[in-house]
Amino acid sequence: MKSTKFTPERNISKAETDRKWWEIGDFFRRNSLWLLMYCTGCCAIELPPAMTSAYDMERLGMGPMATPRQADILLVSGYLSLKTLRRLIYTYEQMSEPRYVVALGSCPINGGIYHDSHAVINQLDQYVPVDVYVAGCMPNTEAVMNGFVDLMEQIKNKSANGWKKYHDNYEWYRQNQIQSLGEVDVHDEFHD
Amino acid sequence: MTNSMTNVEFVQNLVKSNVNVLQEHITDQYQVHFVVEQDQVHYILNILKNAGWIQMSYLSAIDWPEENKFELVYIVFNWEKPVYVQIRTKIDRENPVMNSILPIYPGSKYYERECHEFFGVKFPGNPDYEKQLILENWDDIPPMRKDFDPEAYSKRKFPQREYSETYIVQSEGKSKLAKMEARKQRAESLRGGKK
Repeated sequence: MKSTKFTPERNISKAETDRKWWEIGDFFRRNSLWLLMYCTGCCAIELPPAMTSAYDMERLGMGPMATPRQADILLVSGYLSLKTLRRLIYTYEQMSEPRYVVALGSCPINGGIYHDSHAVINQLDQYVPVDVYVAGCMPNTEAVMNGFVDLMEQIKNKSANGWKKYHDNYEWYRQNQIQSLGEVDVHDEFHD
Repeated sequence: MTNSMTNVEFVQNLVKSNVNVLQEHITDQYQVHFVVEQDQVHYILNILKNAGWIQMSYLSAIDWPEENKFELVYIVFNWEKPVYVQIRTKIDRENPVMNSILPIYPGSKYYERECHEFFGVKFPGNPDYEKQLILENWDDIPPMRKDFDPEAYSKRKFPQREYSETYIVQSEGKSKLAKMEARKQRAESLRGGKK
């Protein structure tokens, strides 16, 4: 529809339009982050106070989500055994993009107290990209909340690019997964 | 059974009158263990089950590399007479085979699978004992054996994070101790009254 006033025609490139829409999307996304909690490790004990009235995650717009298809954050709380890692990669690949990974505790960073275990991996970011690490064994609830705020900040600064990295370096991640897991596909009596 | 008998005494009587006990140990009034021959395990477990020890609580193994033996431990529990009875037996370590107790305690199915996975003990009679349960695609000797080195496995299999040897001193100022001294002196100088 033509306005009666004179409006100069603006030539915005496709890239520019995309960037603007992404900024708008990121604004809403970072204010309504939904968590998929993969509570396999002991750091999961920090989540009840973070979610309930003590720290009230909901005030940041964050909430739990039951399915990976609708979640934004994959929250890895603590150590990952090989068996768990296989399911974690499954879950991560099910999530819709953009997807972020927050890792709690020292186990995903360097193995923590399980550094010499035959069952527990030592470094999560070799297998899936991690956006925010919250160090500590286990981290304070304040630290956990701070980690989430950091993630929001990263989304705002467009530096939460883990999922893009996963696309670009998929071969490298895949190779690491196969090197440690042998086979990434799950074969057990419940899946076959 | 007379009422003067304690539960542990009852178990002792029951076990000793039926099988040849190599060694026994009474931990307390709720726990007792008997070491028996390998071929008598099924017999004594059958008797214990008929006497009320209906719950198969746990089955696992202990590795004794010096003796070249695995010690299998069967733990059963009775809800009427609260005593945990452990039946232990030593089996060969090179070729560890133990007949399954599935016909006596059906609940031992998963314990036998677990034991096979972690120690490599074979349980003929259990149709599933070779299926993987906890470890997936395991490619080494069973991990709970004493001669398995978990650290070497971890180093070989999982990438390690590398840390540089050098470190950065973030504050170039005075050390903590010097700061504390300065604070003390300042406090001292501000103190009024008699010195």
